[in-house]
Amino acid sequence: MFDELKEQGMEKLAESGLLERLEKLKKAGMDKISETSLPQDLRTVRANLVGRKGELTEVLKSVGQAAPELRKVLGQAANEVKEILTQAIDQKNEELINCASCFEGAADITLPGVDFTSGGLHPITQMCYDLNDAFRSLGFEVFSEPEITSELYAFDNLNFAPEHPARESMDTYWLKGHDEESGAKRLCLRPHLTGASVRYLQQHGAPARFVYPGRVYRNETTDARHERAFFQYEALIVDKDFSFASGKVLVKTILDKIFGMDVEVRMRVGFFPFVEPGFEIDMRCLVCGGEGCKVCKHVGWIEVMPGGTPHPNVLKAAGLDPAVWSGFYINIGLDRLVMMRYGVDDVRLFHSADLRFLDQFK
Amino acid sequence: MKLSLNWIKKYVDLPEDLTMEKLTYDLTMCTVEVEDAVDLADSLGGLVVGKIITVEPHPDADKLRICTVDVGDMAPSTIVCGGINLTPGQLTVVAKPGAMVRWHGVGDPVEIKPAKLRGVMSYGMICSSGEIGLEELFPASREAEIMDITELGAKPGSPAAEALGLKDIILEIDNKSLTNRPDLWGHYGMARELAAIYDRKLMSLEKSDLPEGSGDLGIVIENPDRCPRYAAITFKNIKNVPSPFELKSMIWRVGMRPINLPVDITNYVMLATGQPTHGFDKNHIKGNIHIRTAKEGEKLELLDGEVLDLTTADLVIADENNPVALAGIMGGKLDSILEDTTEIILELANFTAMGIRRTAKRFDIRTEASSRFEKSVEPQRIDVAIAVAVNMFKEYFPESEIVGLVDSYPLPLKNSEVEVSLSFLSRRLGKELTAEEVIRILDNLGFKTEARDGMFHVTAPSWRSTGDISLPNDILEEVARLMGYENFDFIPPKVVLEKPINQRKVEMERSVREYLAFRCGMQEIFTYPWIEDEYIEASCADTSNMLCLSTPPSPDESRLRSTLIPGMMKGVFTNLRYFDSFRIFELTQVFADKNYHSINDPAEQLPEIARHLCGAFVGPDPRFLFRQAKGALENMHRAVHMEPLSFAQVAARPLWADDKLWLNIMYGEESIGCIGLISLRSARKAGIKRSMTVLFEIDVEKLLPLASRQNRYMRLPEYPCVDFDLSIVFDEKVAWSDIYETASKVELVKEVRFIDEYRGPQVGEGKKSVSFRTRICSNEGTLTSEKIEMITKQMIKKMSKKFDGNVRGA
Repeated sequence: MFDELKEQGMEKLAESGLLERLEKLKKAGMDKISETSLPQDLRTVRANLVGRKGELTEVLKSVGQAAPELRKVLGQAANEVKEILTQAIDQKNEELINCASCFEGAADITLPGVDFTSGGLHPITQMCYDLNDAFRSLGFEVFSEPEITSELYAFDNLNFAPEHPARESMDTYWLKGHDEESGAKRLCLRPHLTGASVRYLQQHGAPARFVYPGRVYRNETTDARHERAFFQYEALIVDKDFSFASGKVLVKTILDKIFGMDVEVRMRVGFFPFVEPGFEIDMRCLVCGGEGCKVCKHVGWIEVMPGGTPHPNVLKAAGLDPAVWSGFYINIGLDRLVMMRYGVDDVRLFHSADLRFLDQFK
Repeated sequence: MKLSLNWIKKYVDLPEDLTMEKLTYDLTMCTVEVEDAVDLADSLGGLVVGKIITVEPHPDADKLRICTVDVGDMAPSTIVCGGINLTPGQLTVVAKPGAMVRWHGVGDPVEIKPAKLRGVMSYGMICSSGEIGLEELFPASREAEIMDITELGAKPGSPAAEALGLKDIILEIDNKSLTNRPDLWGHYGMARELAAIYDRKLMSLEKSDLPEGSGDLGIVIENPDRCPRYAAITFKNIKNVPSPFELKSMIWRVGMRPINLPVDITNYVMLATGQPTHGFDKNHIKGNIHIRTAKEGEKLELLDGEVLDLTTADLVIADENNPVALAGIMGGKLDSILEDTTEIILELANFTAMGIRRTAKRFDIRTEASSRFEKSVEPQRIDVAIAVAVNMFKEYFPESEIVGLVDSYPLPLKNSEVEVSLSFLSRRLGKELTAEEVIRILDNLGFKTEARDGMFHVTAPSWRSTGDISLPNDILEEVARLMGYENFDFIPPKVVLEKPINQRKVEMERSVREYLAFRCGMQEIFTYPWIEDEYIEASCADTSNMLCLSTPPSPDESRLRSTLIPGMMKGVFTNLRYFDSFRIFELTQVFADKNYHSINDPAEQLPEIARHLCGAFVGPDPRFLFRQAKGALENMHRAVHMEPLSFAQVAARPLWADDKLWLNIMYGEESIGCIGLISLRSARKAGIKRSMTVLFEIDVEKLLPLASRQNRYMRLPEYPCVDFDLSIVFDEKVAWSDIYETASKVELVKEVRFIDEYRGPQVGEGKKSVSFRTRICSNEGTLTSEKIEMITKQMIKKMSKKFDGNVRGA
C-alpha cells in the first residue's frame, strides 16, 4: 500500500514520517501479540495498541495535523493497521481461551469423587421391594398381617395335624398366659406366613393374586445358619381350576428377578401339610450349570423353595369351595436369598443392627 | 434312612438297563429325596483276601511277626504285622503295595507302599476290622487283633468287598421327605414303590403255615385306641448265638449293629417290612400280656439301662405284675432276649402315632421303632411281618418250634376311599387324561379303582390308608407324580384386567423408609421383637402392658416390644463401639396387652398391634442433632404424601428424654409420638457414652396417605426478590418461633429463614446471636435500594422493640 502511494509520487507523504510510524507500530504490535501467552496480558496489549489511549490512537490524532490532502490516505492506512491488529488480538485471544484454565494452580485428578451415598435400606427390605416390584407388574397385591397370630391361623386352618411337632413350644413362640388355651384363643408369634393367606382370602375372596412378605419366628438354637427371627416371601394365586403347571410363573418371577436371567427350574414331590400336591422346587445350579459341583452337592440342582396347590382344607378354611377353586403357593426364605445374593455367611448379622455390615448394601 | 439296593432287589426285578443315576433321579422326582447313593465296594477299594501261610517271630521286635501271605500273586508276600491272632491257614484282609485304601472306610484313599519295619521289608498290610471301618461287623475281642474271615472261605487275591458280599449300593433317603409316606420305611415298601414307578412285578411275601391255637398266652388290650392290634408268636428252642455273617452283613449295611441272632432277626423283620418287633424272654413273662397305661409310681429299666419314672399317660407292655416294655419305643432290660433265653415271645404290634410321639418326647427317647410308629404304621402290615418273621426263624433256627400265636385286633383299620372324576383330574392337571391311564397308574400303586358314571371310586391300599390319602387332590398327586412332573408343560395363567392396584397404605410405608434412607441419610436396621430387660429399664418403658413369651429366647428377653425405643437404644449402643456419629431407623410392628380385637374370626382376639417408626441421630452436638431429627420429620410429608407433622409440648415428657430437648410430634390435633435427646440417666443405663443421641418414635399406623398430591404451583414473581441477612443478639430465652412470627409480619417480607445461632464469649453470658435471611418481594416494581434499606431498618427496629435484640457487632 505504501509503495503504491510512493509510486504515485506522493513525496510529501513519505516525508511526514507517519507512514513509517504506522509500519513500525504494526510490526511491533504483531510481535507483541504473538509473544503474549496469558489472556490478562493480552488485555494490556490490546489497551496499549488499539485502546482509547493506545499508540494507534496517538497516530490517528497526528493525522489531523497532517496536510489536508494526505489526511484521507493516512486515515485509511491507520484504520487498516488498527483492523489488522484488532483481528490478530481477537484471534490470539481465541487461541489463548481455547487452551486456558479457569483457575490457577495444579489439580490432583486422582482424588476420590465426593461421596453421595446417603443412608440405606436393609438388604432384606431391598430384596423384598425388588420382588414386590416384579409381582406388582404381574398384578399382585401386597398384603400383611399382624406378627401375632393364633393357633387357628398358624396351624388349624392350614391342615396341620393336631399333634404336629411344629405346634410344640420347642418350635413356636407361644405367648404367656395362653398355654392352656387352643385354637383361636392360643396366641403366638407367627411361625410362618401361610396363615396370612387365609386372612386375605377371607377378606377378599377369590380369584386372588397376592404376595405377603414378612418376618416369622421359630424357637431355635441359633448359629450361622439358623435364626429365631427371619424373613419369608410368600405368593399365592387362587383361581378356578388353576393347574400346578401354571404355578411355575411364581417361581420364575422370583428367580428371574433375583438372578437377572431365565433360570431353569424343576418341581418334584414334597410334603407340606397345607398343600396337595406339594413340591420341592429346585433350580439348575448356576455355579456349575448343572454339571455337579460342591455347591449343589453334585446333583446339578439346588433346592430353592417349597410350593404347591392349596390343600382343600385350607381353601375351606378360607371360605372357598375346593371343588371350584384351586391355586398355587410358593414360599421362599428371604434371608437365604440375600445370603446367596451377596455371599453373607452368618444369618445373625441381619438382626445385629451392625452398621459395619449394613453399610455394605447401600 | 438307609436302604440296600440288593435287599430291595430281593422283592422286585428292576429293569436291567436301570442306572443308579436314573433310579435316584426318578425316586427324587416321584417319591422321596435320595440324598446319596454310596457304593459299598468303593469304601473297601484296594483290599484283597490274603491267606496266611507262615508266621515267624521278628528277630528285633517282640510284638511283631513276619508272615508269608498268599495274596493271589505268583509268590507269597512277606508282610510284617503286629497282630496277635495270626495263624497259618487263616484268611484275612490285606492291603497290597500300590493299593489305594480308605482308612476306616472313609476319607480320601491313601496309597500303600512297601516299608522296612525294624529292618525287615514288609510288602503290604494285614488289616484289623477297625482300620477298614468294619469293626461292627467283625468286632475284635482284644486289641491288635487282625480281621479273621476264614469262615467266608474266599479265594486269596479276590477283592475283599466281593468276598465279604459287600457289593451293594446303599441309598440314603432324606427322612423329612418320608414324613407322609410311612409305607416306605422298609425295603419291601420301597420295592413296592419302585415296582409302581417302573411298572414291574412285586414279589408277594406269602404267609407261612401258621399254627392254630394261641398256646398258653393271652393278650389283653386295655387301650385299643392306642394299640389297635397286638400279635405275639411264641417260639421255643431258640438260642442266643451270633448271627451268621450274611445276616449280620445285611443289617449292618443299613446302619444297625448286629447283636445276636434272635435280636438280629427282629431287626431284620423291621428293616424288611417297616414293622417294628420286639422279643421277650418267655420265662420272664408272668401270665398274660397286658397293653395298658402305666400306673402311678411304676418304674421301668430300658434296654439301654435308663430307668424311667413312668406316668399314667405312658402306654406300656406288662405281664401280670410289671411293665416289661415301653410300648412301641423300647423293651425293658430285664425281660427282653437274654444270654440264656431259649423261648421267646415275639411281639408284632401296632401303636397309634400320637401316644408314641408324646411318650418319646417326654423321655426324650428316639428309637428305630418309635420313629416308625410316629409316622402312623397301618395295622395290616403285621400280616406281612408275621410271614417274614416265621420264615426267618424257620431258616435260622431249624429246630425251633412255634408254640403259640395270638393276634388281637380290636380296631381294624378301614381302607381310605375317595371319589374323583376324570374331568377333575384333567382340568386340574391341565392335561387330557384317559381313564385307562389313570386306572393303570393307580393299580400299579396298589389302589383299587372302580369306574362308574364318569367317576372313579378309588380304594387306597392299607399301607396308604393312615392319613395320607383322603381327598381327590391326593389322587391327583399320585397320578401326576407317576406321570412325572417334568412331563407337564408350563401353562401361563390367564390374567383378567379389572382395575389397577392402588395400595396407598402399603406404598406409604415404603416411601417413609425410602425417604429416611435416601433423603435423610439414615440406615435401616432390624432388631428382635423381644427386648432385653436392661434396655427396657434404660428407656423407662412401661412393662405393665407388654406381652410376654411363654418360652423366651433367654430369661431377660421375655417381653415383646410395645415401643421401639429400647431396641433402638441397643442399636445405638452396639454401633458406638465403631462409630461416633450415625443415623439409624427401624419401622416395624409393636404389640400391647390391651384393646383385644378380631380381624377375621370373631373367636380370635388379637392384642393391640401398631406399626412404629423409630429413629436415632447420634453425634456430638445435642442441639444440632435435635434439629436434624426434627427436620427429618418436618419434611417427611412431601415425600410420603401426607399431611405435615408439627411439634408441641402437649403431653408429658417421655421418661427417657432430657428435660431441655423434647417435643411431642403432632399429626393434626393428635400427638402420635415424641422426639427428644436421651437423658443422662437413660444414656448411662444403656451404656451410651461420649456421643449424644436424639431419638424419635411415631405411630405410623396413624398416618393417612393423601389420595393425590396436594401442593400447588406458585407463579414466579414478576419483579426480582431481594435477600438480606441479619445477625441479631437476643436474650437466650427468646424463641425462634417468636422471632420468626414477628419478622414475617414486616412489610413485603415473603420468607424468613433461620441460618444459625451462636452462643459464646463474643455475645456474652445469657445471650445468643441468631442469624436469619429475609426475602422481600414486591408486586409493584423492582425494589430500590432505598426501599430495601428502609425495610432492613424496620426489621432491626422491630427486633429491638419486641425482643430487645441488637444487631451483632453494632
